[in-house]
Amino acid sequence: MPLSNEKLLELYRKMLMVRSMEELHDKLLKEGKIHLMGHFGTGQEAVAIGVTGPLRKQDILFGTHRGVGEFIGKGMSPKHIWLEYLGKKAGLCKGKATLHLADRENNIPGVVSSLGSDFSMAVGTALAAKMQKLDQVTLYFVGEGTCNQADAHPSMNMAALWNLPVVFAVCNNQLCEMTHMGECYTTPDVSPRAACYGIPTEIVDGQDVEIVYEATAKAVEHARSGKGPYLVECKTFRMAAHYSGDPGGYVDPEELEKWAKRDPIDLCCKKLLETKVLTAGEDKKTREAVAAEAREAFETAFSSPDPSVKDLFEDVYSQKGGR
Amino acid sequence: MARKINFLQAINEAMAEEMRRDPKVFVMGEDVHVGVFGQTAGLVKEFGDERILNTPIAENAITGVAMGSAMNGMRPVLELMFLDFAMLAMDLICNQMAQWRYITGGQYPVPVTVRTALGGGIRMGYGHSQCLESQFVQTPGLILVEPSTPYDAKGLLKSAIRSDDPVVFFEHKKLIFGGIEGEVPDEEYTIPFGEAVVRKPGKDVTLVAFGFMVYEALTAARELAGQGIDVEVIDPRTIVPLDKDTIFESLEKTGRLVTVEEGRIRGGLGAEIAALACSEYFSLLKAPVQRVAAPMVPIPGSAVLEDLYLPNKDAIIRAVKRAM
Repeated sequence: MPLSNEKLLELYRKMLMVRSMEELHDKLLKEGKIHLMGHFGTGQEAVAIGVTGPLRKQDILFGTHRGVGEFIGKGMSPKHIWLEYLGKKAGLCKGKATLHLADRENNIPGVVSSLGSDFSMAVGTALAAKMQKLDQVTLYFVGEGTCNQADAHPSMNMAALWNLPVVFAVCNNQLCEMTHMGECYTTPDVSPRAACYGIPTEIVDGQDVEIVYEATAKAVEHARSGKGPYLVECKTFRMAAHYSGDPGGYVDPEELEKWAKRDPIDLCCKKLLETKVLTAGEDKKTREAVAAEAREAFETAFSSPDPSVKDLFEDVYSQKGGR
Repeated sequence: MARKINFLQAINEAMAEEMRRDPKVFVMGEDVHVGVFGQTAGLVKEFGDERILNTPIAENAITGVAMGSAMNGMRPVLELMFLDFAMLAMDLICNQMAQWRYITGGQYPVPVTVRTALGGGIRMGYGHSQCLESQFVQTPGLILVEPSTPYDAKGLLKSAIRSDDPVVFFEHKKLIFGGIEGEVPDEEYTIPFGEAVVRKPGKDVTLVAFGFMVYEALTAARELAGQGIDVEVIDPRTIVPLDKDTIFESLEKTGRLVTVEEGRIRGGLGAEIAALACSEYFSLLKAPVQRVAAPMVPIPGSAVLEDLYLPNKDAIIRAVKRAM
């Protein structure tokens, strides 16, 4: 069932915000205004926004180091993203996480450094939801590279074994850090690995935000209704470097050219213009407004104070705990 | 009123009482229905197999499941059967759950209790017998508990389960198998972290011993008393936080310090105490600090070799005499 015009426009605007935030981050790095290196998801915006689209506020999202996409999708504000990325005291994590940001109000528990260390955490939050009979799904957003990590299989096994409300949303962007997927996998797809546990799977075109949204909505409903885990695999390509300034030279320029022709934002824009949901003029205005919003959020965050030495020692233990 | 129970019963009772008290508490681990050493025996009958959750064999992953459940409202008691196997879970214990509260700016506390059995003398060799507490000491954010009596085991385990911080709770196998008995009150009680107990007062030497070594230290103390040396035996009960006040008040009295652990000597628990003594309490020392610990070798399977490896009362006596 196709999305309403309003919904599609909302997703489009979110994809524009992701692209704006990351382009701005890249610019800020060059200007020396931010320390945190960029892990950009250029070209993957439809996956990030599409898989988070069906989630409600009470649902839990585990996102990644390349996370602006999914965090914007889950409802995190650009200002809070900048505050934490800049390491500011007013950040939700008091500047201590930066890359690993968490937002409890939006049910984003944080980001790990060692990829896949959170695979089993997602199974755990889902277990807790089931035990407490919560109306809540956990969505574990993960790259295909990370699906080779130690806990991928035990996590999928336990999710299926205990019939847990967890959706594994695999962003298959063909690149495992700086190595092509073909050098890490004997198969082109991740899904067969989940299928061996009896977990239903679907592989979709990750460049089309509507397709991603619909597939994930089906998966989330499956999990929500007590039928257990589901895996959605979105095929896309990472147009950006693994991290800004990485050595490069590991991607075939022809492959980049091929995928550039199916840029997810261009595809969505085309759809909106063709169905006259937007005019070219309105689109231009929207893009400008989004870029301005991203910039304004950064400026506000940038002028916010840094933490100090007292903050260094806070929150190691709870107040009741050890010293 | 009080009654006598053994170390195993103390652990079992603590878990049962906390589960009756708080529906968020549950137990998970490998073989917890049966209970390989018996700590969880009988619990599944009272609490059912959803609250006493048998897991597949996957130490790192089940630790992550415990962490995730704790981040989302539950209070898991995770059993990692042998401390040696907990090495598979070091990422989740030391990189992740210990540090998550801090990294998330306090948004996500992780109230997990990890219970694990340590210690040698059971002739099972290198991977079933180690004392590896010091591997966790360098990690900020963990509470490390090592009781030596049923009273302490029960009170500290209850505190661990109620704590909002991740706790690693070390259970020595000899205390589980040895039927060590002790009195526990009928009334509800917990023990705060960071409070040592003086097991035997003395004026000549301060002996700080951990876990099962408390008993070897007390045996050594009795023998030394016969030789006119009056040893004070301190049981820290928690490794982190460490009750420095009790230890160094004792040192002020005796001027001589001997540490005793079953773990290996390099960078061990005694090393930290010795460093504290040297850097913060140097003027109190009448002699160099002595450390009794296992040598830097893997634990051999041979009974003869294992007995040579393990610290015991004779090694403690020799160390005390070196300190005199």
